[in-house]
Amino acid sequence: MNVITNDNFKCSIALVVLRDVIDPEICLSVVDLGLIYQVDFDEEYRNIFVRMTLTTQFCPMGDSIVCAVTHALENSFPEYTVRTTLTFTPPWKNTMISEIGQEYLNK
Amino acid sequence: MPSSNTNESLIKNTSYKVVLPFYIYAALALLVACTLLAISSDVFTQHYFHPKTLAITHTMALGWATMMILGAGHQLMPVLIERRLFSNGLAYLSFIFAATGIPLLVYAFYTFNMNWPAQYGAIFINSAILCYLVNFAISLSKSKLENVHAVFAFTATLWLLLTTLVGLLLVYNFTLNILSEGSLHYLSLHAHMGIIGWLLLMVIGVGSRLLPMFLISKYNQPILLWYIYALINFGLLFFVINQIFLHQIVLYLVPVATILLALILFARYCLAAYRQRIRRQIDEQVKISLFSVLLMSVPLISFIIAIRELFNGKQDTKHVLLYGFSIFFGWITAIIFGMTFKTLPFIIWNKVYSFKAGMGKTPNPKELFSSKIFTAMVITYFAGFILFSAGIYLMEVIVLQLAALLLVATAILYNWNVFVLVFHKHRKE
Repeated sequence: MNVITNDNFKCSIALVVLRDVIDPEICLSVVDLGLIYQVDFDEEYRNIFVRMTLTTQFCPMGDSIVCAVTHALENSFPEYTVRTTLTFTPPWKNTMISEIGQEYLNK
Repeated sequence: MPSSNTNESLIKNTSYKVVLPFYIYAALALLVACTLLAISSDVFTQHYFHPKTLAITHTMALGWATMMILGAGHQLMPVLIERRLFSNGLAYLSFIFAATGIPLLVYAFYTFNMNWPAQYGAIFINSAILCYLVNFAISLSKSKLENVHAVFAFTATLWLLLTTLVGLLLVYNFTLNILSEGSLHYLSLHAHMGIIGWLLLMVIGVGSRLLPMFLISKYNQPILLWYIYALINFGLLFFVINQIFLHQIVLYLVPVATILLALILFARYCLAAYRQRIRRQIDEQVKISLFSVLLMSVPLISFIIAIRELFNGKQDTKHVLLYGFSIFFGWITAIIFGMTFKTLPFIIWNKVYSFKAGMGKTPNPKELFSSKIFTAMVITYFAGFILFSAGIYLMEVIVLQLAALLLVATAILYNWNVFVLVFHKHRKE
């Protein structure tokens, strides 16, 4: 799944950072799992808006994964405020896993 | 100053404080059950309606299986119904009632004192189940989602309440003669409401949700699950009606056929989910849970032999004992072993490391317990289970005692790993 953004360059940096945020059950990054739907940059008020999902609602690790995404971006973009929003529309499907992710899981 | 916000209502999970007491209690109950098994192995060469056999069975059914399912249920219920748990208070109350009632009931069976210890024990246990059921019902009523897994789990809890209510009647029947027949006559009814209604429905309902999730399987077949649901409930209701009103031996074949068909369909469901999985590597915990589906064949075969003997007008108690043993120490225990180390490490990780998420390296939840102890536990468990089953069949006390010691070793190793997890402290990577 492609990540929606208003700044391709900064989004690609953010996605590199988010590749270090791993779902501990599946051992794949939130990016390769397809959990990140949107990363927008608001230059005027220095905000980063992240819209993401989880593999299942009320996932026992959900809280930690969302916190990890927020903290990872805060560390890499200290001048911005990170605002992470969780959505289940559309719900996550295993077809959202990236090709790299599919290859890793198929090993 | 950077800050962040998330819509927490979408992800707020049940607190570990609610869940952990159930896990710890269940682990200790397994140790007690295996110890009772070791010191009373000889009762497995006698009739199944024996006080010590009843004590061991209830320690396993209530202390081990039910406490573990209630604990995990409080954690998994929000996943199934996509709605947060209605009340932590009711969950605590459920634990307190069950934790008080179970030892009273087990003590009553072991010493065959069916007066106040059994009566109070049964009342406390019924209160615990009622608290859980009310909590589940209100949580479910607030959920917009209707799915087959939640219906399975809720119906299973209704059957559990019916089982414990019949148990309460049976306990009072020992002293007050309130039923038309003796308690032994209703034992099969009580046992099968619990085994099929509570355990089987719950395992299928939750397992059919978790298995594809852990395997990241493309397989999704809710219609098949609805068929399984209908077959099991029809079979069980038919069994109850026949047992109370009709008393026709030949009619027992109807529930046997429907439930057997349901099991075959569930095995097919698991196989399809396994074949269509995206994730090729399967961890030991999922493997042992999958293996438990195969372990269901042991009680099934002993049940079919016991039924055949019933038609021939004789009953060899060893087939009934093997049936009960392989359900509680085989099928259910194998699932719980797998699922404990699939769920508990994440609960502990969340408790210890969630505040550090994304702020540095933290250990993987799988590293919080010893995989070597887990492997040793699996080896002693299968050796103990196979040997004890052989001991029942051969009616050899020495084999039973040796096997029971292996199962005690299994319970010690299980408790060791559980307590390693529970007492895990923050570790810098």
